[in-house]
Amino acid sequence: MALGAYVAVSAALFALGLVTIAARRNILYVLFGIEMILNAANINFVAFNRFNGDGMDGRMFAIFVIILAAAEAAVALAIVLNVYHLFGSTKPSDADLLRE
Amino acid sequence: MDIYLDGMKAIAPELVLTALALVTLVADLLMRGRNSRFIGYITLAGLAVVGMMLAMRVGAEPQTVFGMVEVDSFGTFFKLFTVASVAVVTVFVLSDRSERKDGIGEYYFLLLGAAIGIFFMVSTNHLLLLMLGLELLSLASYSLAGFHKGERKSAEAAMKYVVFGGLSAGVMLYGISLLYGLTGTLELDVMATQAGNAMPFGLVPQLDHNVIPVAIAMVMVLAGFAYKMSVVPFHFWTPDVYEGAPTPVTTFLAVASKAAGVAALLRFLGALFMTEGVQPVVEWYGDRIGMLLAILAAVTMTLGNLSALRQSSLKRMLAYSSIAHAGYILIGVATLEPDGFSAAMYYMAAYYFMNLGAFGVLLYFESAVGSDRIEDLKGFGWKAPLISITMVAFLVSLTGLPPTVGFYGKYLLFKAGIDHGLSWLVFVAAINSVVSLFYYFSVAKALFLSEPAQRPALSQPLFAALLTGLGLLTIWFGLMPGSIEEFVQRCLLL
Repeated sequence: MALGAYVAVSAALFALGLVTIAARRNILYVLFGIEMILNAANINFVAFNRFNGDGMDGRMFAIFVIILAAAEAAVALAIVLNVYHLFGSTKPSDADLLRE
Repeated sequence: MDIYLDGMKAIAPELVLTALALVTLVADLLMRGRNSRFIGYITLAGLAVVGMMLAMRVGAEPQTVFGMVEVDSFGTFFKLFTVASVAVVTVFVLSDRSERKDGIGEYYFLLLGAAIGIFFMVSTNHLLLLMLGLELLSLASYSLAGFHKGERKSAEAAMKYVVFGGLSAGVMLYGISLLYGLTGTLELDVMATQAGNAMPFGLVPQLDHNVIPVAIAMVMVLAGFAYKMSVVPFHFWTPDVYEGAPTPVTTFLAVASKAAGVAALLRFLGALFMTEGVQPVVEWYGDRIGMLLAILAAVTMTLGNLSALRQSSLKRMLAYSSIAHAGYILIGVATLEPDGFSAAMYYMAAYYFMNLGAFGVLLYFESAVGSDRIEDLKGFGWKAPLISITMVAFLVSLTGLPPTVGFYGKYLLFKAGIDHGLSWLVFVAAINSVVSLFYYFSVAKALFLSEPAQRPALSQPLFAALLTGLGLLTIWFGLMPGSIEEFVQRCLLL
């Protein structure tokens, strides 16, 4: 398959991630959107690595990104759980103590 | 094997810092969360060792370790200041009256973890290690912002931080993946110097044929730096997170974390556009990026200063002031010339002193007055004269008036801007400095130009001595700017 097809899928996933973050009112969906963006980058890394020669840089990067995504999800979910305990909601609009 | 051992020797400060972080974690577990002050003292002692190891390294031959870590004086400069500011933040945690005495051992572990992230992110030309360092710093910062688990403001701050941080890290990562695809390498100096005849191609052929994808990738990567430095339009998280986070954490975010963003951006741009043997077309493209940064600088400082004018909370005001200062620093960065970079580094050094001090005084006021509203500070200067006069010194330095270190830093930035064709930006910055005078001096006015307050001052001799020391340094380096300038020159990469 041509490189363009991979890049198109990854660009679509990136755009979907951004739309999810912008459109959804629930913090959990925002986290889903961030995961989509990270995985879009991963598709790019692996695809470019395949078409860019015999180095392993891109594949290595993808593995690190998977670990990063897991670590970030762990921290983010802990924070969201704490917010849920204190505010009784996972909507960012319900937690609005900090403002001008 | 020898290469491996030599490499380990070169990154000894990082290794000691990692060991220190693990020691604090294990010590806290063994003591079952009792006696957290003791963990704080271990942290301070360990940081002193790391600082000494770094100080011995200033001016040593630069070397590349494991093909990724650049051990050089530029990194050492920022690492030294990072160690110093983490030590000061540790003292803040120890002196924070609103903090629990026990069960906060992780506080120090998270601070040290963030410092390790900073250490690696300021000393690499490889995009993988840059991303890992940045994420390590970010993950520790998210947890720190939400450290007061039962407090709603702290929880909300952590949530906002993790959403903005995760989004901008994702965007930056996507930008890096595009850059990798376009150039075939993750090493910045290789990107800049390859002529495009064979793998890896570098930036040259892409700048000839694919300028738009390169521009998209660049903007995405710069977004990650802009978020760390809180440059407009990636500043939205700054006031809310700074206000909601515990004040020592706010200090860390405003000082060490922002400086790490500046350092990583300087190295990124330096390796890409100012490295030895850079291709002419890449250098030409660097001027375009410089122009973009100059525009961002103007918008950032104006928005930061105008928003700071309307704040009634000192903490929020300092948050907007730190956005404005990111704008000033960008003047030096946008020149993309060695003397602009050295001016930015000098201003960062000044920034460490004055902001550590200003946030420290804020912490003192919060415990003494029980509020961070400027109107509640009325007349408090007569009750706590020493700390309040020190605060005035920090405010003078933040405004950029003599005889303080902030004045000389701004002078260098303005000079570099004018020398490299950014006079319009310097003009905007000068007007901004005048605007900033109003809100900085509203604090001084509240402290001294009203009836003495009723509330008694709080006696914290050690903390007051630390703040006074920072205040004296702010003035001392303002009177004797040569010593830091010489240090910056020795540490400059180019």
